Amino acid sequence: MEVWLLTLTLLLYLLSTALFIVGLLSARPVVRTVAPSCLLAACLCHAGAIAVRSLTVGYLAVTDIYEALSFFACLTAAMGLLVQWRLPVSIFGAIVSPLGFILTLGVYVFYTQARALPPTLQSAWLPIHVTAAFLGYAVFVVAFSASLVYLVQEKQLKQKKASSFLRRLPSLETLDHLNYRSLAWGFLLLTLGLLSGAVWAGYAWEHLWIWEPRLILSVLTWIFYALLLHYRSAGWRGRRAATLTIVCFAVLVVSFVGVQFFPGRHGGQFG
Amino acid sequence: MEVNLASLVQPASSLMVVGLNHHTTPVELREQLAFSDGALDASLPRLVDTKTIREGAILSTCNRVEVVAHTPNLDAANEKIRVFLAEEQRMALPHFAPYLYTHINQEAVSHLFRVASSLDSLVVGEPQILGQVKDAYNASSALGTLGTVLHRCFHKSFSVAKRVRTETSIAAKAVSVSSAAVDLACTVFDRLEDKTAMVIGVGEMGEQAVRHLRGRGIETMLVTNRTFRRAVELARTCNGTVVPFDQLDKHLYLADVVIGAAGSPHYVLHSGMVEEALEERKRSPMFLIDLGVPRNFDPRLNTLDNVFLYDIDDLEQVVEDHKGERQIEAVKAEAIVAEEVNKFWRWFVNQEVTPTIVALREQAETIRTREVEKTLAGLADLSPQAKESIEALTRSLTNKLLHPPLTYLKQRHHNSVTREAEYAKEIASPHVIRQIFGLDGPKE
Repeated sequence: MEVWLLTLTLLLYLLSTALFIVGLLSARPVVRTVAPSCLLAACLCHAGAIAVRSLTVGYLAVTDIYEALSFFACLTAAMGLLVQWRLPVSIFGAIVSPLGFILTLGVYVFYTQARALPPTLQSAWLPIHVTAAFLGYAVFVVAFSASLVYLVQEKQLKQKKASSFLRRLPSLETLDHLNYRSLAWGFLLLTLGLLSGAVWAGYAWEHLWIWEPRLILSVLTWIFYALLLHYRSAGWRGRRAATLTIVCFAVLVVSFVGVQFFPGRHGGQFG
Repeated sequence: MEVNLASLVQPASSLMVVGLNHHTTPVELREQLAFSDGALDASLPRLVDTKTIREGAILSTCNRVEVVAHTPNLDAANEKIRVFLAEEQRMALPHFAPYLYTHINQEAVSHLFRVASSLDSLVVGEPQILGQVKDAYNASSALGTLGTVLHRCFHKSFSVAKRVRTETSIAAKAVSVSSAAVDLACTVFDRLEDKTAMVIGVGEMGEQAVRHLRGRGIETMLVTNRTFRRAVELARTCNGTVVPFDQLDKHLYLADVVIGAAGSPHYVLHSGMVEEALEERKRSPMFLIDLGVPRNFDPRLNTLDNVFLYDIDDLEQVVEDHKGERQIEAVKAEAIVAEEVNKFWRWFVNQEVTPTIVALREQAETIRTREVEKTLAGLADLSPQAKESIEALTRSLTNKLLHPPLTYLKQRHHNSVTREAEYAKEIASPHVIRQIFGLDGPKE
């Protein structure tokens, strides 16, 4: 059931990628209404797969690489849908759908059988901590995409290449605004993730903090985003803010991926 | 070639467009031939009758005067329309006849579709023409000069125009320097309603740009000029606020869009001024449109973050690019028109053929029942089985006799679009079949 749903999800991500790209290149309005529905279907399917797994193991299935990746992919697609709903342009769907596809493909590579979680980690803090942190990551994907599109749009405008492709992208003002809002939300969620993690660690390990690469990198990421948000509030806008958002996202990716290679209590074997 | 062959496959009636437009006809002549709204209401009923022109409509704009007609007799209708135009507008026919074009059948449908889709306009893609076609349709509809065919033809032209507008970006491209500038402003700003524009200088170009910005909903307008009096004049026309020229730098930070249209030998805006303004407005982006020759704004301004500078050459380049893109879009649009013309034509031929098929069947059935009754009346002592056999025999006879002409008609209809060339070689049409079988009653 779970694998079957994942396969369907994978196909739907692929289809919605194709549809969004067509929507980006052509002026046909039909595609623009079908593509979001397809992404929605992919998202629901994906959520279904996660739900099946969670029901099997009896807790929110986010505790190994496979499960984490799957959860993150699903949240990212959902965030993409949210943006798509507020801002009906094809570009975000065209970024999020292939991302969903690749991440879900990764899920296949890392697929593991469901297993039981040590009792010390079984707590209500698990879904709170992981959901807050991963939702934050997904929102940062939106901020990153908005910045990427901003840079493309800005470069085209500066170089005076006014193509019709340009016209199908959101305006710089919209992108900058989206960047700011998603940074603020992402930061809030990341903070919640860190705090709830500390509280949970206090219960499970009897320390709020342990010196481990993953935790250090997480806090480092948090500091980066805090600085970025600070400068944004102080009036940094446009290209500079977009570039910094991309740098911060790179730090995030490094901490997320890199940590898988470090041994430790957090990450690796268990979450 | 295709169209000529198609026009040989004569249905019992035809569609035609007779008219002239901006492509070939000088404006003085178009003015004289144009119908005012009142004149149209008076004239149009005189165009339509039951014999030569069954249905008619007149499309009269400053760029074209065209008569659309549905007729059973092309030549007579063509003649009638020409005379009609001459009489109604009190002009000698030879005076304007050389400018008239005549489109027949598919070509006529295609012409109407292209006009409605703004493919035949002076500025291709301009949106007004569709409204004008709709007005022409409403006027003739109100006067009762339209029938099934033209009603459908006009309605189709509206939906074709809509398809062209949504499926191609032919209408989305700016064609003037100032509209291109405003378009670009929209790629920087989400919406213009809450933005402020500043116009420096009061040239013709500046005024045009102001009009476009107003058209896109920009609310607050600041006007400044070396001569204060002229700034006041422009400010009055665009409902703006005047800023004294020597205080330009103090107010610059308010402007999201700055238009330079001053006839100044030096740069009016320098990096220093704009940097300060940016500081003041918290690096909120500024869009600078330099319409001046020589240039009003220092070109190095474009290197500043959050500042976008377009001068007149850049904008002309954008317009030029759009023309190229328009051509590509026009090809797509023409394909849509061709597709829709085919669909419409299939319907048109179909509505011509169906009554003929029905009439043929009805006639055969009437003759058969009449003859059977006559025969059976003289053979009263026949068994019910024998009567049944006679019924069956006659039915099978008429069916077998009718089979070839019916098949011919049906096939002709189904293939009318794809196999036009073949059918063009043949002479039989519903019209001919009607005559052969005497469906329209004996000729007197």
